[in-house]
Amino acid sequence: MFFTQLQNELLKLFARKRTYIGFGAFVCMEVIILALLQLPKAQKAFSELLTRNGYGFEEYYSGLTLAMVMILATVFLLGGIYLALVSGDVVAKEVEEGTMRMILSRPISRVRVLLVKWLACVIYTVVLVFFIGATGLMAGVIYRGGLGKLFVFAPPEHIFGLFDTAEGTWRFVRGICFLSLVLQVISTLGFMFSCFNMKPAAATILTLSVMFLDFVLRHMEYFEDIQKYFIAYHAACWVRTFHDVVPWWEILESLAYLAALNLTFFVVGTMNFCTRDFKS
Amino acid sequence: MISLRRVTKRFGKRVAVHALNLEVPQGRIFGLLGHNGAGKSTTIGILLGQVYPDEGRVFVAGVDVFADRHHALARVGAIFETPAFYDYLSGATNLRIFCEYTRKGEAKRGKEIVNLVGLEKRIHDRVGTYSHGMRQRLALAQALLPDPQLLILDEPSEGLDPEGMHEIRNLILRLNREWGLTILFSSHLLNEVQQLCSHLAVMQEGRLLFSGEWQQLGLDQSWLWIKVDRQEEAEKRLVGDGLLVGFETDGKGRLQEGRTAADVAKWLVERRFEIKAVTPIERTLEDFYLETVQKDKRVPSSEFQV
Repeated sequence: MFFTQLQNELLKLFARKRTYIGFGAFVCMEVIILALLQLPKAQKAFSELLTRNGYGFEEYYSGLTLAMVMILATVFLLGGIYLALVSGDVVAKEVEEGTMRMILSRPISRVRVLLVKWLACVIYTVVLVFFIGATGLMAGVIYRGGLGKLFVFAPPEHIFGLFDTAEGTWRFVRGICFLSLVLQVISTLGFMFSCFNMKPAAATILTLSVMFLDFVLRHMEYFEDIQKYFIAYHAACWVRTFHDVVPWWEILESLAYLAALNLTFFVVGTMNFCTRDFKS
Repeated sequence: MISLRRVTKRFGKRVAVHALNLEVPQGRIFGLLGHNGAGKSTTIGILLGQVYPDEGRVFVAGVDVFADRHHALARVGAIFETPAFYDYLSGATNLRIFCEYTRKGEAKRGKEIVNLVGLEKRIHDRVGTYSHGMRQRLALAQALLPDPQLLILDEPSEGLDPEGMHEIRNLILRLNREWGLTILFSSHLLNEVQQLCSHLAVMQEGRLLFSGEWQQLGLDQSWLWIKVDRQEEAEKRLVGDGLLVGFETDGKGRLQEGRTAADVAKWLVERRFEIKAVTPIERTLEDFYLETVQKDKRVPSSEFQV
């Protein structure tokens, strides 16, 4: 029954047109970024960065690199918006529309209902991230005529990584897998707010507010010493997989921190929901 | 089938349900009557485990709803005032989703239920294209799919046209007679309650004012409106001499079985009362309901039974 319920939850989620806004937005964004990279000034800046360090522009201005550029620049903020939109809706929308009351007239526990919904959010997050990775890579490959070598430039993480095609492809795929784990924290935060007695839009806005505030504070120089307390710091652990020598302990520590946050958000949301009264 | 024992629910300072004791017998159609805000929907929410009572216990089919919700509600179906569905999915998909929250859909039973509620031609259309009446019928279908013993209907005719109301009423009667379902439905439509119920409860401001069988309302008995010069004396003596059972407000009296208006008129004339009016009246549920709630308003506190 559990998997049937999960299947139905995914059907509800993916049957809504609104779910696909994020997918459409990222495809548009990728096209726009590629279009803007056609500009001579953009290409010049890219070229100078590589040639100044003794590397060939043509060698590293590749499908893989462009895919990484697109994802690095946008996934946390833009992806966060669409994850917050879907996860903020997942419980609150059903309460608002009255279908939650219909569900709760059945002999099913509230915890089971929420667990199934949360898992649907998890799956949506993974699907969105892999979609972003796949379409980004496809766009880059089409534009540059092949995968090529991978160049990753992420100054906040002190990363200037160069990899050949095979290594680069493996790291890209691995990075996407870690990204799909990392972004669960946004989905679960949105899910938590969705469990509270508030409108879906309020849940989405609150989620975004927390994420954006966290992101801004993390990047302020004055808070460098306490940056390990920010979600954005740990959420960036997927980028650290592109270090030449990958700091696995640090990455695992960040994943554990995020997992603990996910658990906390889920428990808080569930406890709140389980004590609520539902009536017309 | 249903038993509520001293159930109380407060929302902040407002008491929505106050020390409610209510028994719904098996196999009956039980009407829960009351004005808007009387506590009917809250009571139904408590029955379904959706609203947590502050005091008291609730049993469905002998099982405590809050101790073992799964078993208590295993054979219960419910419809709410404004039935909600996933408008972007078909009626059939909606039914399957709701059914599979508890057990796998049974295709054969599903077809039977859909035919019963008359949605066979539109069941594969998106619910967003349904009329209000069709949504209500779909709601009834989702309530019947788990093969319930108890059906709880919260204002089932709300928003329906007369034809729709007639259809729902006929379905309710059929479900009770042919399937033996116990049906609890809340309504503020007296006509609907009058046509369907064998038992009735009246609520006002969270309190139970009356609960009993239809016969206890005395609506099928003859009533007279009596106005004479020595009204108080006449009322006492008519009851004492066995012509009337008792008097309500404003000179309305209930005739003893076997007695007629002519008997009363003759009695009054023989005892030299000046008759101003001896008029047979048909007492309706509305009369009973208004008298009950008016009596409650005159008594400032605590529930009482009629």
